[in-house]
Amino acid sequence: MANFLISRLLYTVLVLFGVSVAVFFLIRIGGDPSALFLPPEASLEEIERFRALMGFDRTLVVQYFDFLGRAVQGDFGMSLRYNQPAMQLVLDRMPATLQLGGAALLLSLIISLPLAIIAAAKRDSIFDRASLLISIIGQSFPAFWLAIMLILLFSENLRLLPPSGRGTWAHLVMPAIVLATYSTAIITRLLRSSMIEALSSDYVRTARGKGVRESTIILSHALRNAAIPTLTVIGLQVGALLGGAVITEEVFAYPGVGRLAIQAIANRDFTVVQAFVLLMAALIVMINLLVDLSYGFLDPRLRKRK
Amino acid sequence: MTSTFKRCLLAATLGVSIPALMATAGIAQEGSTIIVAQGVDAYSMDPAKHSNFPTANILFQLYDGLVTQDENGEIVPALATEWSNPDELTWRFKLRQGVKFHNGEDFNAEAVKASFDRALNPDFKAPYFSRISHIKAVEVVDEYTVDFKTEKPFPTMLLSLYEASFPALIVPPKYAAENDGASIAAKPIGTGPYKFVEWLKDEHVVLEANPDYWGGKPAIEKVVFRPIAETRTRIAELTSGGVDIVVDVPPEDMASLDGGDTKIVTVSSDSLYFLSFDTTRDTPLKDKRVRQAINHAIDVDAIQQALLNGMGTRTALTLPTNGFAYDSSWQPYEYSPEKAKALLAEAGYPDGFEIPFISRKGRYMKDAEIVEATAGFLSKVGIKANIQYLEAGVWGQISEQKGREGIAFPGWSGRDPQLVWAPLLTTGQYQSYYSNPELDELLQAGASTIDTEARKEIYKRLRTCQ
Repeated sequence: MANFLISRLLYTVLVLFGVSVAVFFLIRIGGDPSALFLPPEASLEEIERFRALMGFDRTLVVQYFDFLGRAVQGDFGMSLRYNQPAMQLVLDRMPATLQLGGAALLLSLIISLPLAIIAAAKRDSIFDRASLLISIIGQSFPAFWLAIMLILLFSENLRLLPPSGRGTWAHLVMPAIVLATYSTAIITRLLRSSMIEALSSDYVRTARGKGVRESTIILSHALRNAAIPTLTVIGLQVGALLGGAVITEEVFAYPGVGRLAIQAIANRDFTVVQAFVLLMAALIVMINLLVDLSYGFLDPRLRKRK
Repeated sequence: MTSTFKRCLLAATLGVSIPALMATAGIAQEGSTIIVAQGVDAYSMDPAKHSNFPTANILFQLYDGLVTQDENGEIVPALATEWSNPDELTWRFKLRQGVKFHNGEDFNAEAVKASFDRALNPDFKAPYFSRISHIKAVEVVDEYTVDFKTEKPFPTMLLSLYEASFPALIVPPKYAAENDGASIAAKPIGTGPYKFVEWLKDEHVVLEANPDYWGGKPAIEKVVFRPIAETRTRIAELTSGGVDIVVDVPPEDMASLDGGDTKIVTVSSDSLYFLSFDTTRDTPLKDKRVRQAINHAIDVDAIQQALLNGMGTRTALTLPTNGFAYDSSWQPYEYSPEKAKALLAEAGYPDGFEIPFISRKGRYMKDAEIVEATAGFLSKVGIKANIQYLEAGVWGQISEQKGREGIAFPGWSGRDPQLVWAPLLTTGQYQSYYSNPELDELLQAGASTIDTEARKEIYKRLRTCQ
């Protein structure tokens, strides 16, 4: 177990290093942002003066190691736009994103778990058809379109929900629905097929033969076995809900990290983009680690192997 | 055609100055709060530390400059009550007396000096430093008189001191120095009509009326600014009553929002849309007749009607029509594909030619649509314009290397020829793709005096330059 953790930790460091290289150089391919900060009539000398002040005149490799050297000490630099520490800007907006991501995850689990279990247990029933429909629709609706449609219906026509902002539970409803749609679809589909596979396996037939109650077979025998692939996908979805809420946050003017990130990208606010991407990478690696560890609790065979 | 100024000013094709646009819902009169939705949140509450107009819209309520502009775009007194020029290199301002900052600090000559000393310090890294960098020193004459000293005559001084030059807003010296400037960047203190209440990042900025404002207490008690990036969401907030004012309404939504509970208000701005031609490389654009042909080939009015819902003012040259140097007798080119074709044939391009056409996408309202429509008109006279959209950063890089080949749609903003024509047309300026010694001389002359009448004459003479 200890070896496993140590190797995973090393792996995490390696991943973060790779991510830091990728984000640092990729965002700079789009060009130097100096001119974007100055008035249109600024002269070349003024642009160069600003560039030197910001340190953009050094070679990229030098800039990268400067950035890396500070980043390992927790200093991600100052935001070029906000003149505040970049990581602080990202962390300030994390609670809002966690709240929205949490609500969306809860919503998608409340819908997808029972739906998938019932669909698998009663194959070809109306539930099964409904689960299929939800999966297809949920995976094919673009978040952007769905968000605008919800705003048109619930805000402009019915006047039930506020179209944007944060503060009350009502502000969470539409963005959570939009975010949950894709996760619900993918979790439902996967859990249903895993359950069907589990229910047609030998141990289930044996259990049925022994006269174990059907509900016990489904919830205890089959579900536990179907849980491993589902958990992997849920783990990936958590990452997607946190880092991938960009469009949803933008449309609903929700003050989370996704919105900060999209604006930072548009503004070439390099330091903020770097802080955001690295924090998200770290979170996703951690979630994956937790998911991996949870396999051991679900499947005793894996525990022994480690 | 006789030699006209238009020929000198290559950039005149799509001279449209674009207004700022907003929609307002019925605003409550008493106990009043108004909520304003803009695209983005404030970046800083320190006026000298940002370069962004949505931020400035908030800060204009909190701070004052020495001068401001009225609804006609005229520069009028604000914290300065009058000004004079003892000599060409000195601007003397008499300051308003009895004004206090929101925290009780006195507004006086020391505060003005300290505000500019702070923003002019290179280590301070003010993004809009270049707007005020011609000011060499601010000297205190007495408690309510200051002298601004310049090295060379600085004709655009007043434009540089009004609030749109962000670092020209006056800050309280003691407070601005607190915590190395972090205090004022988070909790602003100015002399403006509103006082700061709260800033929840990406959620809202709340301001309340300043009862002691030197211009009288504002009629509206509370103002809230909310950042809502998505246009549809902003409009949904307006129509569902969540906000009172939204900015940047797309032209296609103007009709549906102008009526019932909402109305559209437009204000003319200094934004300029035009094409610039590269005459430094060996392309057909070097030939004046080709440039004139392009001017005749494009139906600017049709583009304005179809894409901008008729908004904007068509201008003959790249200056807002309310700029002091604009002459209303100047006429834009008429739309005439026949003339265009004749000119092209005369220049030796009866079948047209191919030319790169570069622009950014989404930087200015309807920029890509306008660029595409323009290319469509050009194709009708045989000119094949190959459109390429560049990322903002790439655009900057290419510009610095003087690499804008062919036709470009640069977008600009400015009211004085010194801020528009000088950088775009003076030989050797990095954004200039033109060279004409006569024009250079006149632009230099216009920059070398602060006498407005003399400058008007100079810019009029530009018309005759060949």
